Amino acid sequence: MAPYDEWNRIDDDDDDELQDSSLFEGKRDVILFAIDCSESMLELYEDPNYEDVKTCHLLTALESAMQIAKRKVVVGPNDAVGIMLFNTTRKNDSGGQGSEIKQNNFVYQPIATINAESVKELIRLLDEAREDPDHLRHTFPPLVGHKVPMGDVFTSCNWIMRDGAPKTASKRVFLITDSDDPNAGPGKERLMTSARTTLIDLTQAGIMVEPFFISTEEKPFDQTKFYSSVLLPNNLNDDDGDPSVLPESISITRIDDLLAQMRFHEVPKRALFSVPFELSTEFVIGVKGYGLVTEQKKGSYRYFVDLGDRMEVVESRTAYVDNIEEGDVDKNTIVFGMALGETVGGEDADTSNDLSGTARTVPVNSRVFFTNDEIKSFRTMGLEPRIKLLGFKDKDDLKFEDNVKHSYFIYPDEMVYSGSKRTFSALIKSMVKKEKIGIALALLRRNSSPVFCALLPQEERAEEGGWNEPAGIHIIPLPYADDIRAAPIQEGFRASDKLKDATRKWIDKLTVKNGSYPPDSYPNPALAYHNAQLEASAFRTEFDPEEFEDLTLPKTALMHKRAGPLMKEWMTTLQQDETANTVDLPDRGKKRKAVNSATTDTEVRAMYEDGKLAKLTNDTLKEFCRSHGLAVSGKKADLVDRVTEYLDVN
Amino acid sequence: MAERAGYTVTMFLIDVSPTMGETREVIVPDGPNGEERTLEMTNLEWSLQYIKLKIQEMIYNGRKTDQCGVILFGTEDTDNVINERDGGYEHVSEFIPIGQPNAGTLAKLSALQPSTEIGDPVDALIVAIETQDTYLAKKKTWTRKMILLTDGRNPVEIEDWEATAKKMNVLDISLTIVGVDFDDEEMPFEEEDKPEIKRVNEEFFHNFISKLDKGSIGNCQYALQEVSRPDVKQTKSALLGHELRIGDTETYPDEAIRLQVKASKCTALSRPKSWKRFARANPRDPDIIMRTQQDDDYGPKAIFSELTRRTEYYVDKKKDEDDEDEDMDGEKDAAAKVAADSEEVPTEAERVEKEELIRGFKYGASFVPCPDGNFNRLPTKKGIDICGFFPTENFKRDQAMGDVQYIWADPNSPANQVALSSIVKAMTEKKAMAIARWVSKDGMDPKMGVLYPIEFDSVDCFLWVQMPFADDVRKYTFASLDNLISKKGEKITNHPYIPTEEQQRAMDNFVDAMDLMDAGEKDEDGNRLPWFDTRLSYNPAIHRTKQAQFHGAVVEDLNTHPLPPPHWELLKYFEPPRRVLKRAHSALEECKQSFNVKQVPKKVVRPRKDGHVRAADDEEMLLLDQLPKPAKSSSQVARSQTLTASQSQRKSISPKSQKQKAKKAASDDSDTATEEEPDDDLPLSQKGPAVAAKVKPRDDEDVLMTPSPSVSSQIPTAVGPSQEADPGRVPGRIIGLTKPLDDFIRNTKTGDIVSKAVLDLGWAITEIVKRPFARRRTKEMLECMKKLREVAKVEDEVEAWNEFLQDLKHTCLEDEPGNQDFWTQVKKQGREMSLISKSEVKKKHGVSEDEAVEFIES
Repeated sequence: MAPYDEWNRIDDDDDDELQDSSLFEGKRDVILFAIDCSESMLELYEDPNYEDVKTCHLLTALESAMQIAKRKVVVGPNDAVGIMLFNTTRKNDSGGQGSEIKQNNFVYQPIATINAESVKELIRLLDEAREDPDHLRHTFPPLVGHKVPMGDVFTSCNWIMRDGAPKTASKRVFLITDSDDPNAGPGKERLMTSARTTLIDLTQAGIMVEPFFISTEEKPFDQTKFYSSVLLPNNLNDDDGDPSVLPESISITRIDDLLAQMRFHEVPKRALFSVPFELSTEFVIGVKGYGLVTEQKKGSYRYFVDLGDRMEVVESRTAYVDNIEEGDVDKNTIVFGMALGETVGGEDADTSNDLSGTARTVPVNSRVFFTNDEIKSFRTMGLEPRIKLLGFKDKDDLKFEDNVKHSYFIYPDEMVYSGSKRTFSALIKSMVKKEKIGIALALLRRNSSPVFCALLPQEERAEEGGWNEPAGIHIIPLPYADDIRAAPIQEGFRASDKLKDATRKWIDKLTVKNGSYPPDSYPNPALAYHNAQLEASAFRTEFDPEEFEDLTLPKTALMHKRAGPLMKEWMTTLQQDETANTVDLPDRGKKRKAVNSATTDTEVRAMYEDGKLAKLTNDTLKEFCRSHGLAVSGKKADLVDRVTEYLDVN
Repeated sequence: MAERAGYTVTMFLIDVSPTMGETREVIVPDGPNGEERTLEMTNLEWSLQYIKLKIQEMIYNGRKTDQCGVILFGTEDTDNVINERDGGYEHVSEFIPIGQPNAGTLAKLSALQPSTEIGDPVDALIVAIETQDTYLAKKKTWTRKMILLTDGRNPVEIEDWEATAKKMNVLDISLTIVGVDFDDEEMPFEEEDKPEIKRVNEEFFHNFISKLDKGSIGNCQYALQEVSRPDVKQTKSALLGHELRIGDTETYPDEAIRLQVKASKCTALSRPKSWKRFARANPRDPDIIMRTQQDDDYGPKAIFSELTRRTEYYVDKKKDEDDEDEDMDGEKDAAAKVAADSEEVPTEAERVEKEELIRGFKYGASFVPCPDGNFNRLPTKKGIDICGFFPTENFKRDQAMGDVQYIWADPNSPANQVALSSIVKAMTEKKAMAIARWVSKDGMDPKMGVLYPIEFDSVDCFLWVQMPFADDVRKYTFASLDNLISKKGEKITNHPYIPTEEQQRAMDNFVDAMDLMDAGEKDEDGNRLPWFDTRLSYNPAIHRTKQAQFHGAVVEDLNTHPLPPPHWELLKYFEPPRRVLKRAHSALEECKQSFNVKQVPKKVVRPRKDGHVRAADDEEMLLLDQLPKPAKSSSQVARSQTLTASQSQRKSISPKSQKQKAKKAASDDSDTATEEEPDDDLPLSQKGPAVAAKVKPRDDEDVLMTPSPSVSSQIPTAVGPSQEADPGRVPGRIIGLTKPLDDFIRNTKTGDIVSKAVLDLGWAITEIVKRPFARRRTKEMLECMKKLREVAKVEDEVEAWNEFLQDLKHTCLEDEPGNQDFWTQVKKQGREMSLISKSEVKKKHGVSEDEAVEFIES
């Protein structure tokens, strides 16, 4: 991990990078869990995962809320969460965020930045609830006989958000309920209207509602009964403003998938850029760009100062200091130029105070430095942000090696150019049908530099787990000539067909049919290891490294079970292979005696077993070291030590 | 690649004879107003640019072993090693001794002036050879280069020149002669009225060069042009040793596979070289001033000093812990950021020394100390472990995350080469890729990625690219483009979002026409190649920045010597090839017509930016038994004030009288309220003066049902009507509820936001009509509707009107509370106020005439 100073440095030169992570962190996210607490949510049933344990929907919902809160520490440490329960008779304490909300709505945890105490409190509650199945029912007595009007729930959410959430944050309510017709009975129409109106208020206050509806076999969730006429497209100001179409983000889910569903919504969907997409100069549509693949890094450490009663984070700022006077320089007067080069001894002796290494002297009225704006224009080549289509190429023209950084994903934006969606949709279909990719010149942000990219169309595809692979276009930045390195090796010995066939056997055994690279199976172990320690430290519990499981390690036991004997066979074939035993390397002249490394390996191992490594020649030892990536420096004793150390573990 | 970078001494030989003082007109980039500009400079000044750019290249690369020296010929005096020793070689001077160049070198060259004497280039060559040879006496392996700059207008002593050429070959010197206005077939260039002496000299120079093993000669103009050609330094990446493993080498040593491999970079993102920051020094030290003023020959000078960066740490001690709200508030952060940007330290912050700081992490709001700055790392073992294989066709190309690496078998081990080759071949045959886990060093964090087999002409290898961990993938949801479901749960197949068959056909044709596969250059057989090749695409940011950096370093004044345009190589892929554009012309026209994409007028505007005139918006006035008031405008309060207001003034007085009336207030989270002023009630005549608006804190009660407006007089902010509203206000509306007609007229006048204005006025009317006491505004609303319909008809917003009217009817008659009265009034207007029919606008929009009649009468 880069040291803090470096990580934090403000460098305009790096601005051209889309700093995805900083964009994600730039705006805080506030989630209010609004969880239904009615009879049906509290109904106990056998826990599917643990024997003799009873659970209920509310418990699962709270558990999910806790998991999301924990995740937030990683994905957005400045984000805030709160928990509100509705359909409970528990009264709010006076004072605080919940004190004045509607009846039968209860604020369990007011909105606050994620912190260890709240999470611990929630964990305690969950533990107690598992011990005593009636604990939740006692803690949050359900409202019996009728239900709170949904309008009241939305109003309460609105107030809680208003009191607890910063203005500029993105604000979301995760609505969790299993009741598809909460306000049935007389007056339903009126209650629906009021629910809709209050929901509009909520939306206008910039709060989005993301519903998670729990559906069971006995009690399937029918959203047409109530919700489809109440819910709105998520953000009135954003895309998808067509009211005749259902909002996209309703999740109806089995309770077991609740957490998984929430994980999709764990970070608010934010566009990284919004630019015109020029299919031609006069044929332009609007698109928004997203980062669907972005490296999630460990948080960097911060500097704190001890103020006696508490620790406070310090902010760092960068100042520019003038080398002659050592004073701070006003940022507005800074100009830009080329490094001046080393001061060399060969300079005239009489200018003892020569400043040529640190300063440049120019006539007062002339200008030799560039302004910040000029520098930017050199980077952008004077282009405005846009994606400009240059044409189409065959799909296989995009090579594996044409990659330098992660891709972006674009999706049409009807709010900037009407007709964007149909055009975009037709474009995807044409490209897929004709197996083409697009080539485009893109300037994604005002401050970045133009880059050529491949436009890779993606058709919509349903995936397991209820998540759809969306229709859209991936933007893959192509390397420039400046980014391409030459292959340093041009020649090598190659395998015979016999050996290849032997290889093929074990590869076949180790191939996942219809498989692909499965990101979901590989949580970042280093990140998880770091976060586990962070969490343990915050909760003041012990971290046990033994318990940590690295899921990215190859499943070697299984591999050997499936292909072990075939791999062994292959090794035998290899050892008998003539080419593999070539002794003389054609391109190596006569200087160094080429050694057959396969023999060396066996020989060295044999001597090691007998404890007679020292009998080997230095050349042999060195060759062994070289072929195993060990250093070849030092005396014979060093080499012996090094080889011994290596063979001890291998 | 052939030669080693650095370890070079380049001698620059510059002709400063009087003829070099002749001037020429140089075309420079157009001025700020597009006027053509030329610059008059001496040939010396002009051609020196080439040398300065060459020297700048050395400064840019910053190699200690890349050195140069400058010899002048044609100087007034004589100052060179041979003359000192043996005499002769007059008017040749060693101007800059050999060394690593810096900005001072350039400054000296800039000061050069033509002399009154004539110098001999061959003399200069001999002096340069001697000087260079002496300097390199003990550095046998260094490369020797010479660049000679001349106009070839003066007599050359051509005796013995063969001996000189021979000597240069012996010393392995490469010579480039750059001639001012030399004839050049390649350019092509031929000087008119070339003096005889120059013709002879040029012939001689060509002859001379032909006798050299390493020599070239060219025209200065051409050289200047080529010096800005993007030039990619071929970098061969270092080979780093690695181990490729398949299986568990510890538990199953006789089965597990272990190969010695080398990794090297295949792609690596390069960036423009960074700029250095400078600021004009303002020396308080009189010595410095003295010195600067002394060595000025041309007037006063300014010193610009290079700046260095310093990180400072600040803590805000006043921050109160229980003031969680404030801590949370993003606005404050924004304010802090602004402060940071302007380098001003917010007053409450206090600077702390780095030594006092403790490292730690934030667990949300909690502090977790971690003095090392890192927890224990995950124990890992260096190597590349293959986890399994999968079919290449399932590879998701868009998930590749970074640069690409080659994986080679150990070049010294035939066994490893054959083994790796067998895997590559087997995978290629099977069309499979491998999933692999990469640890670059013991204890380093693992990466996941894929290995892709590659068979080159005579070697096999893998390519590796990093793939995302579960944590790195964001599964955002996007609305389906094809499957639109109506509120009733039915699939919609006919919708403006879904392309029609005709549109799809138009797009298919467009994609075919814009094909680049045959749009490039022709190959030897006359077949056209694809257009665009990554290997020929130069990063314009890198090369343009470099060009600017060089230019800035070598010219005297950017005002008179503006930066020349970018080299054409940088721009060659910026536009689609002309052939393709021509071919696609008709397909494109068809697309444009068929898809009919229209730019949506810019919406108004997030509160913080300047935008359109904001709607005058005041709903409170409706509550009071007074005449509607003029514009009090929504005031935008300085952000920090809003903050204070909303936070500190929650407890506000809510007088009962107001409370009753407040019932009608619509929900409004607005933080602003306005003072009422009596005024006449003609909406059109209202142009209220700027009023001092006051900030109203938010109500704690249910705004919907029982709003209790309360006025705080603590933050009076004078604002004009054009001021923007607070973010809490009905977002995105450009028509307010106070004077909708005014807002509408004003917004439609500007022309570009008509659709939005139509939409919003419809909204405003519906809102107002829904409210209690709407009766008193009936007349005004009917006015609004009349205007709205008029505009909708003219501006092709027929559908918007029709939709609005249907909604309005519904709202009035069927919704609670409704407003039957109002609809009755609308009906009275008759057909003139009904839906707009097709026949009215003669377009395909609109309803049928019968429908329109029926609608208003029913």
